[in-house]
Parts: sequence; structure tokens; C-alpha cells
Amino acid sequence: MTTELAANGKPFVHHQAAHCETGVTSALFRYQGVDISEPMIFGISSGIFFGYLPFMKLSHLPISAFRAKPGSVFRKAAKRLGGDFVIKTYRDPQKGMDELRQVLKTGQIVGLATNLYWLPYMSERHRHNFSGHNIIVIREIENGFRISDPTIGYLVDCLADGLERARFVPGPLNPRGYMYYTKSVNPHPDLRGACIKGMKDSCNLMLRIPLPIFGVRGMRFLAKKVIKSPDKLGFQEACRHLAGTVRWVEETGTGGAGFRYMYAVFMQEAAELFGSEDLAQLSRDMTAIGDTWREFSVVAARIIKQRGKEEETFAKAGGLIFKCADREEAFFKNLQKVVRKLKA
Amino acid sequence: MKVNEVPQDDVPDYSEGIKKGNYALDDQGKYVMVPSKGWDVDELTNRLAFNEYKAKVEETRKAVLEGKKSPLAYYMELRQMIPKFLGKTAGIATFRVKRHLRPEIFAKLKESVLDSYAKALEITKEELKTVPHNSQER
Repeated sequence: MTTELAANGKPFVHHQAAHCETGVTSALFRYQGVDISEPMIFGISSGIFFGYLPFMKLSHLPISAFRAKPGSVFRKAAKRLGGDFVIKTYRDPQKGMDELRQVLKTGQIVGLATNLYWLPYMSERHRHNFSGHNIIVIREIENGFRISDPTIGYLVDCLADGLERARFVPGPLNPRGYMYYTKSVNPHPDLRGACIKGMKDSCNLMLRIPLPIFGVRGMRFLAKKVIKSPDKLGFQEACRHLAGTVRWVEETGTGGAGFRYMYAVFMQEAAELFGSEDLAQLSRDMTAIGDTWREFSVVAARIIKQRGKEEETFAKAGGLIFKCADREEAFFKNLQKVVRKLKA
Repeated sequence: MKVNEVPQDDVPDYSEGIKKGNYALDDQGKYVMVPSKGWDVDELTNRLAFNEYKAKVEETRKAVLEGKKSPLAYYMELRQMIPKFLGKTAGIATFRVKRHLRPEIFAKLKESVLDSYAKALEITKEELKTVPHNSQER
């Protein structure tokens, strides 16, 4: 936790977060005096999701997304909590940077979508061409900006050139200088109502999308693919795909286990808010689901390292995903029932 | 996951001292944020992807030295781009970018086109005409 002053002298407190977009959104709300945690934002904005997209490739491997699409977390949270935000994209980089400077001078802090590859402070192993990384700019400093990146525990400096590139380089999910800041925020948001909306939306997203690649059905689809992969692709290629999946579960700023722990935290906080024992039980269920995803990652790593060849197989890894799918289906069906009883 | 189960493995060249946030249960069964130094599993899958990327860059570099590809192909790989995005960044149509990956066509390019490529890839025009002779740096 570090404190930094914005351009008008208002203090900004930097918290470490598990994920970039939820971290940025909660920091924007906290800066305006609404005390709201990262998992709360994650739950309210229905961030939890699953989608297996074999036709979309990122670095030559299919995408298995464990969260709703970038940008939706912020938009849904703003809508449900009653915040009025200015959201802008630009064609002209120069204009985008000029407006950023002007807004910063008024004492606002600004959220930006940037490309991970071009952010100068990123370490080499984390740099890849993905344009959905969210950061907060606090104020302008000499030839650069002071930046709060929620996935890093401290504040960083970034050169103006580097930031301009990161904001405007075309890539997958072209950011086009995507920038957002608060116009006004409801100081006493209706947390209970927002939580209920978020939970209902999540249940629908996980259970009711009539396509086999989303929600729990998507998980089963992925599980089948994993089990068949060594026969279809050969051992080496299957390992590559498996490693790609594990990267989606663990690495891409999830706080571990594909956001499942973060949702468990949301359930716990919601249980306190509503005083509901059902939700507390659901939190424990979600923790168990997260542990199963963790187990999947560990098994996958053993397969890739070719240790314990006898007992660690692709069938076992796929079986674990099936187990997760079954448990999550039960979880969200329970949640549907529990939500109906809650009163806003 | 309990607080004491949060992975704290030593993977210095992966994490570079940056700690990742993890949510874990404390003794009272309440979730808290625990910074994690790194995890072997995480590091392993990242290493595979990173080595693959490096191998590809190296392969392209050799192809350039053998005269099979143009230096543009090397720098495109190095910046993790594909012709579509390189074209968009430089303001050149994708099919032209693909043509420019051939050495004989690249050799005849106008200075203005080279300028826009150099700007898009953030290298100098002189760098763009050759590739490093031994393994790469970013």
C-alpha cells in the first residue's frame, strides 16, 4: 500500500490487486470516496465467466477465457453502481495524449487500456502482444507519467513515448487510446441491489447461453478436447495446447485458479452484507472449485514435465475439468435459488 | 487455498521481484490478499511459451541471413506482430507487408516506406536493413 498525491494534491492510495481491470475500477471508485473492494467489483460486474474460443488465436493458441470480455467489467460496474464516467477513444494519438494531460491537470486520475508488449516497465517474460491491460495514470511528471498498475505492488514511472505507443499500437483488441475517468459517482451506491443484479447475470452467463463454447458447457467442450488432444495432435503439440490453457488459468492476471478464488471472496463479502448463511456456504463451495482448478494446473505441469507418466495423463487432466464443470453447474444452480430469496 | 498454501517459489528471472496478488483463507476462514513470490507451474508454462517465441525469432534471423526472408520478417517476429497488425501500425496494406517479407522486394523499397516501418517497429532505418549477426537482443 502506497499513497501518492494527484495533480491537485488529493491523495491516491495504491493497493495491490489480483487483476488489472477490477483493480483499476475499484481504485477509481475508492478515489471518489466509495469504499469498495476488488472482489466486490468483480462480482457486481459479473466478471466470472468461461468461454473456449478455438477459432480465435492469441500467440497461435486457442483462447480459453475465464472472465467476461475486457471492458465489460468496468462498464457493468459503472452502470450498476450508478457512476457517471467519461469514456473516450481517439483516432489521433497526439490528440489522445493532449487530452490525457489536460484531464490529469484537473486532478482526475485516468484509467487507460494499454498494450502489454509496449509498456516499458513490464518485465521481459510478461511482455506479449495483448492490448487489454488496464492501468491508472495519477499525474504527469517530468517527461513521463506516474502510473499505478494494480498488478504490481508499488507505483511505477513510464516515459511519455512508451505510454503513447502502448495506448495506440494496433493489435488484437486494438485499444485506440481507450481512456476513462469519473464525472460523478453516487456516494452511497445501492450495493445490495447491484450484488443481486451481478449474481443473476453471472448465473445466466454460466448456465443459459445456448452455445456449446460458453459457460459450463464450454468447460465440458474444453475437457473433451484436452482428453482427445494427444491422439489428435501428438504428444508435443498436445503439451503446447495444455500449457496454453494453464497460462489462461494461472498467469493472465487472475489471482490464481481462473478467478475462482476471487469470486469466492465476493461470495464471502456478499454473505456479510446480506447476513446470509447460504452465501457463506456458496463461498466455501467456490473455494473448493478453485482448489480443483489449481489441481488441474499442477497435473498439467506434471504431464508437461513428463513426471509420473503412469498416473498423470491427459485423461486425468480432462477429468478434472469435467469435475470443475459439474461443480460449477451445481454452484450456479444453487446461487440462482439463493438469489431469489435475497432482498435488495 | 489457505494462506500458507500460497505458492512462494523462487523464480527470480520470471517474476523479477514483482509479487502477484493472491486471495487466500486465513485461520478464521476469512479471505485476505497475500502477495506471492511466484509459482513453479506458472513459471513453467510461461517459460515454454517464451522459449517458443525466442526459437521462432532465432529461426527467422537465420532465414534472413540465408537470404530466404527480409529483415522486416525478423523485426516483425521480434515485436510479436503479424502482417495484419504491422500493416495497421505502419499504415501499409497487409498484402504489401506480406510482399515486403521477401528479400528481393524488400531491397527495392523506397526510403519513405522504410521510414514508416522503422517508426512502427521503433528501430532506426539502419537497423531495419540488417539483422544482428549473433543471437538477438530486444
